[in-house]
Amino acid sequence: MVNLSENIGQLKMTFKRERFLVVSTTITLFITFLVMGIFVGVVVLTQTGVKQLEEQAQITVFFKDDFSQEKILNLKEGLEKDARILQVTYVSKDNAYKIFSEINRNDPALREAISADILPASLEVKAKKIANLDALATEFGKVDGVEEVKFFKDVVDRFRFFSSVSYIIGAALIAIFLVISYAITSATLRTIINFKGAELEILKLVGASELYVKKPLVFQGIVFGLVGGSSAAAVLCTLYISVFFNLLKFNELTLVGFLPFKVNVFVFTAIFGVVIVLFGVLFGYLGSARAIKKYLVF
Amino acid sequence: MQIRFEHISKEYLKDAKVLDDVSFEIDAGEFVFLVGPSGAGKSTLVKFLIRDDLPTSGDVYFDNQSVASLTKEEIPALRRKIGIVFQDFKVLFSRTVFENVALALEVVDSPILVINEVVPNMLSMVGLSEFKDRFPQQLSGGELQRLSIARALAHEPDVLVADEPTGMIDPASSRQVMDLLEKVNAMGTTVLVATHDQATVDRMKKRVIGLEKGKVIFDKAKGTYNG
Repeated sequence: MVNLSENIGQLKMTFKRERFLVVSTTITLFITFLVMGIFVGVVVLTQTGVKQLEEQAQITVFFKDDFSQEKILNLKEGLEKDARILQVTYVSKDNAYKIFSEINRNDPALREAISADILPASLEVKAKKIANLDALATEFGKVDGVEEVKFFKDVVDRFRFFSSVSYIIGAALIAIFLVISYAITSATLRTIINFKGAELEILKLVGASELYVKKPLVFQGIVFGLVGGSSAAAVLCTLYISVFFNLLKFNELTLVGFLPFKVNVFVFTAIFGVVIVLFGVLFGYLGSARAIKKYLVF
Repeated sequence: MQIRFEHISKEYLKDAKVLDDVSFEIDAGEFVFLVGPSGAGKSTLVKFLIRDDLPTSGDVYFDNQSVASLTKEEIPALRRKIGIVFQDFKVLFSRTVFENVALALEVVDSPILVINEVVPNMLSMVGLSEFKDRFPQQLSGGELQRLSIARALAHEPDVLVADEPTGMIDPASSRQVMDLLEKVNAMGTTVLVATHDQATVDRMKKRVIGLEKGKVIFDKAKGTYNG
């Protein structure tokens, strides 16, 4: 058996005697995890953007003039309990006029020609999933008192298509980046293990057990993965926080990346950093365990 | 007997036998030369003994235990009973002389106190005490071979196997190395030396097993290189 202090001792010896190899391995792993993190980040940000846009898609339900505000608010209350619906906003006739005036503030003639009575009251409905918009629009069309349901079906359908494609491509890209990162980590650790190949053969000839040969090198791989992953995570978290800070509100829960629920951006960034470190450790372990295999044939 | 080679044959290619039905035994405490020209199969037999390779047929028995049937987990224990010295020394150039000898004890989990006591004794026995902090690249061929012997003896093996121990060193150093092996044998360790160094074999008058074209051609107590 080899204990932790002996592992650390052997690691120190490697650091002391093979400084160039240690530095180049650490830098290679740092760059690998950094590039992986940046690519994953770009994909996550794209997904975040898509989700933000999805949230903007809405149905506007216009009501007949004789349909009272009380009835509309009752309907609103009912809709807010619907699991498919994210948000319902009531726009009264007066509010509709304010919005109209604001939009047409440079056209006083038009503003004067239209009064608040002409504009209908409405409900703006946002669905949790863009896929639900179609069904909801059909249902609203059958409700008593509804004059018109406005919903840009073609635009939403096209958006849904591109959103699904971007989700699949994003997930595939992340999977590919993970495989590439693992391959690079494994190849880098293989170099440092192959460098010690003759030493490992000698260890076996003098009676070292498989565990004695394997453990320090796997430990070394984990440390390299941890150092490479942690330094990349530190840079990535700083980068992400600055990017998100400019794009999203930190104090609000937001839909981020592939997550099906809302999360605080700071928490998401911290978790992302931890995941990069864990991948560093995992790839370090798997890469070194795989590279050492050929030296464990007795 | 301690070591028994029983009907050993080895074919790397079909109809090209490196060893052909080789059988002999070595008792505990013996000093045996395995001689023959290059390609006779000496090193191959050594590899079978330490389970670095397997025969095509036949088996080697160490203390009546079949070496071929050892599991992967049992092989290190066998190698700890056998000290091995190679023609190319096989020392670790990234470690000091002291650390190279200590290696044989570290792999068997010897406490640091034991290592600090045994290693200086071994280095003193092979005459390398003053070089303990040097790296192997600072040593001569003869010194490297003595370092290799010190490492092979550090864990007190039952048998010391030397494969062409004088193959890469000058005659004076060869003599020192062989004297050292004789001293080790006198302390009770079985010694098996595979060599084609005729002068050394003829001088030492020990048991000699001659190999040629993969077959045992003679086995004589107090023999010479040619029988």
